[in-house]
Amino acid sequence: MTTSSNHLAPLRILPRTENLERIRAYVGSAIVSTFLTDGERNGIVLAVDEAVANIVTHAAALCPTTEIELRIVVSDHDIAIEIRDQSAAFDLRDVDQPDMAAYFREMRPGGLGIALIRRVMDQIDYVPASADIPFNRLILRKHHRSAS
Amino acid sequence: MSTFTTTVRHGEDDVVIVELHGYLDAHTASEFERELRTIIQAGALRIIVDFSDLEYISSAGLGVFMVFIEDVRRDRGDILLASMRENVFSVFDLLGFQVLFTITTTVDQAQQEFRSRQ
Repeated sequence: MTTSSNHLAPLRILPRTENLERIRAYVGSAIVSTFLTDGERNGIVLAVDEAVANIVTHAAALCPTTEIELRIVVSDHDIAIEIRDQSAAFDLRDVDQPDMAAYFREMRPGGLGIALIRRVMDQIDYVPASADIPFNRLILRKHHRSAS
Repeated sequence: MSTFTTTVRHGEDDVVIVELHGYLDAHTASEFERELRTIIQAGALRIIVDFSDLEYISSAGLGVFMVFIEDVRRDRGDILLASMRENVFSVFDLLGFQVLFTITTTVDQAQQEFRSRQ
């Protein structure tokens, strides 16, 4: 089976919330001509926004001048968005899925971003920084429906 | 940079209508929280949030409503959400926010909802 993929130029931003709009524009333009529906595209833009906002919240105080890097690969079978950062490792897969009924009973104001990422994306991978690779890698994937 | 503004107007029966414009994300949510707090501290209890001109919302924006809803309801008020675009509604829908909030198609419907509660 022949597959093709499209590697876009990476985007690098400083960890500031004011840069989230650039993130959304970058992701939105990268996936505009893909197999996705409008709703799925909006969901992916939202998921990446949430993931980067989470890193910015934790990274800004620790590494305010170290850039976050985004890479997007669009292939026949999926879309992979890789977010690289050099702040403290945080694997969002370790966070318990919120019980939304309990969440609403307790009326907690935060903690929704990770729940959104999990609902939108098909696969989440995380590789913390190591001696060989000095940055954390969060990889969000959306599979082509006919390929999954 | 994300732009976000609000416009406040007064409807019938002490209803305050808060129109949202632009992008409500992790950058602008704190501004909205300040503005909604000011509106509530000024005595507003029957609040309709008009989303018709809001282009985008993320979880930080949803969190603002969670900050205030308990206090407003304790004082026998409510915050009704109205006139969302499809992409904005889908964010509320993904998390099941309809369980906690009344979401109406139009601002008029939200005003009728408040009237029906009198």
